[in-house]
Amino acid sequence: MERKTFPTSETVDFIVVGSGSAGGIVARELALAGHSVVIMEQGPRLDAWEFEHDELKYRHLSGITNNPATNPQTFRRDESEVAVRRNSMTYARVVGGSSSHFNANFWRLHEIDFIERSVLGPIEGADLVDWPITYAELEPYYCKVEWEVGVSGLAGASPFASFHSRPYPMPHLPIKSSGVLFERGARALGLHPFPSPMAINSTVYRGRPACVQCGLCGGFACEVKAKNSSVWTVIPEAEESGNCEVRSNSYVFQIGMNDAGRATGVHYFDGDRVEQFQHARAVVVCANGSETPKLLLNSATNAQPTGLANSSDMVGRNLMLNKGGGAQARFEEPLNEYKGANVTMMLHDFYNSDPARGFYGGGGFTARSGGPLTWGQNVPEGTPTWGPEFKDYLESYTHWMNCAGHGTSLAQPTNRIDIDPDLKDDWGVSAMRVTYKDHPDDMKHAQFMVDRAVEIMDAAGAVQIVPSEVGPANGGVHLLGTCRMGDDPTTSVIDKYHRTHDVTNLFLCDGSSLPTSTRGQPTHTIEALAFRAAEHINRFAAANEI
Amino acid sequence: MEQPSPSRRQFLIAVGNLASASWIAVNWPQIASAAEHGHHGDGAGHASLTRLTVPQAAEVDAIMNLIVPGGAKPGARDAQVLYFIDNALGSFFAAQWPEFELGLAEFQSAFAAHTGSATPFSAAPEAQQVEWLHEVDETPFFLAIRRLTVLGLIALPKYGGNHEYKGWDLIGVENRHFWTSPFGFYDRDYPGFVPYPGTQPFTA
Repeated sequence: MERKTFPTSETVDFIVVGSGSAGGIVARELALAGHSVVIMEQGPRLDAWEFEHDELKYRHLSGITNNPATNPQTFRRDESEVAVRRNSMTYARVVGGSSSHFNANFWRLHEIDFIERSVLGPIEGADLVDWPITYAELEPYYCKVEWEVGVSGLAGASPFASFHSRPYPMPHLPIKSSGVLFERGARALGLHPFPSPMAINSTVYRGRPACVQCGLCGGFACEVKAKNSSVWTVIPEAEESGNCEVRSNSYVFQIGMNDAGRATGVHYFDGDRVEQFQHARAVVVCANGSETPKLLLNSATNAQPTGLANSSDMVGRNLMLNKGGGAQARFEEPLNEYKGANVTMMLHDFYNSDPARGFYGGGGFTARSGGPLTWGQNVPEGTPTWGPEFKDYLESYTHWMNCAGHGTSLAQPTNRIDIDPDLKDDWGVSAMRVTYKDHPDDMKHAQFMVDRAVEIMDAAGAVQIVPSEVGPANGGVHLLGTCRMGDDPTTSVIDKYHRTHDVTNLFLCDGSSLPTSTRGQPTHTIEALAFRAAEHINRFAAANEI
Repeated sequence: MEQPSPSRRQFLIAVGNLASASWIAVNWPQIASAAEHGHHGDGAGHASLTRLTVPQAAEVDAIMNLIVPGGAKPGARDAQVLYFIDNALGSFFAAQWPEFELGLAEFQSAFAAHTGSATPFSAAPEAQQVEWLHEVDETPFFLAIRRLTVLGLIALPKYGGNHEYKGWDLIGVENRHFWTSPFGFYDRDYPGFVPYPGTQPFTA
């Protein structure tokens, strides 16, 4: 197929900034509706054969993620500190974005997620809010993700799930040893584990193969296209429409604005680091929860001097990362966790925040595996870090698993992305500064999750359990809340249709849109929001309301 | 989801806090051992040393051999981790080389001061080596070389270590890239998921 290209001089209907979970879907939906679309992606476009089973490259050397050497950031705990150079926000920098390297554990939210403020009331030190939409409004779009992108699982298996109007299109993946043990321990405690929904094909689906169980999902891009990343799913379909160009190695650093307060396109650096400008009638930013606010703040104009679409002063604020806690456990016989999809069993018994615990927080648990290179760096307390006994520990690798808790982080306006006053990246673009300090309830809930994980692994018969340490957040890969949606333009950045309150032809859709932190696995929701946003943007375009 | 502390940053911290010290340059008896590894470029199909000098390589080799010793299962020396460390410090960890080199020099001078002898660490009796490593195994330099040793043991052979996948042999990982269930001991006889009373799972 010959890929469509547009000259920069041509005014396209839409520019979509970012090619990840949301960007790919938005672009496909707009292109299929007949609009001309250019997707701008910072990173390169790689084919499946170019990805490797290389844990060092992808998990330790920024193989497809933002590189601290060229894309530096600064970090501080609060505004009283001087930020130091340190990359705390991690995301993929490749066509497909973070949908390329995610674990693909796809949870829907529950009805409670959308109305927690109304149910629980205010929480001191946090800005907990209701969503401007409900689960019922989003449910059809969850189905759309499951069927059009591809999710395997067993609908209705969890007693705690909110309603599903359709089953998953594929059966769940094979349950691996960690899942069996997790289920054994959880059921012994009266809990309700169930096969994990995954955006990974368990059968041939929409022309893509079933998972080959290579074991390298989180941090890696799928080499057989069985993990349903946008680069293998919606982006090719957008291109097949003949209306969409994916412009890789194109780093958007500023949104162009005219005197009328409308977006006119984007300034970007091409692959040769030459500055370009692409004209467009509208811009949809899907760059992730850290890059989206950075782009808006770096796009300040005389009319909007504190950053684009920032009349509320909410751009970059309320950063949430999904606090979690769990335990590592060793069993008598080998599990071989390096084989098979990373997650096959999970539970939602502790999903809701329970005021009886004395703190806010809730989430899910998964039986989860990780790569040996990363595992080998961390030695349990009491185990020698070198010598024959350390070697014995290394030999036990195949006997270990993780029971991982994935939980809430409370929105706090002081936790934010803004622009570092001094630091610039390799392109000369002002770098992001991250300010983040856990809410006390997030710390308490993380410890709660550690304690539950230890109980589950003990009930499963583990011969050694290593609880994770609960400490202050150092960074994250779920980058949420920084351009939250809401009905009130004084307290939110976008409306419930993802249009910025301040700029009529500027839309945002990614992790930044989420008003709350989604309990650990946000991508399914981000993709559902993307389908919903695109539907409304198409509606606005058809009505000439952009 | 939060991420673990950045590995590269940990490395920087691990190698970044050492005071400088002079390198004791002597002709050590153990050089021959490192040189044997270092000359693998002449026909054996292995890389030569590119960053470490032969005396430095002898010291690094001796330390990593105590971190993951040989024996019935492969150790760091069997997996030729030395070449990984040399390659890493000459390429993707090159920025850390100055600190690493200073750390190694500090390690050496401190060992010499401890023993009162010019005999290098790599030429010392193993009991003395082990005793000394217990003294310094919390230092940033040791943590850095330990980290590099584990990376070199398990990372793909193309980076210089994990020779013939011997590191994977040690940890029980088979060199294949696709699998079918059952994967491990506990899922061999898994009977399948049993629904809970009151739930109605449904499939396509």
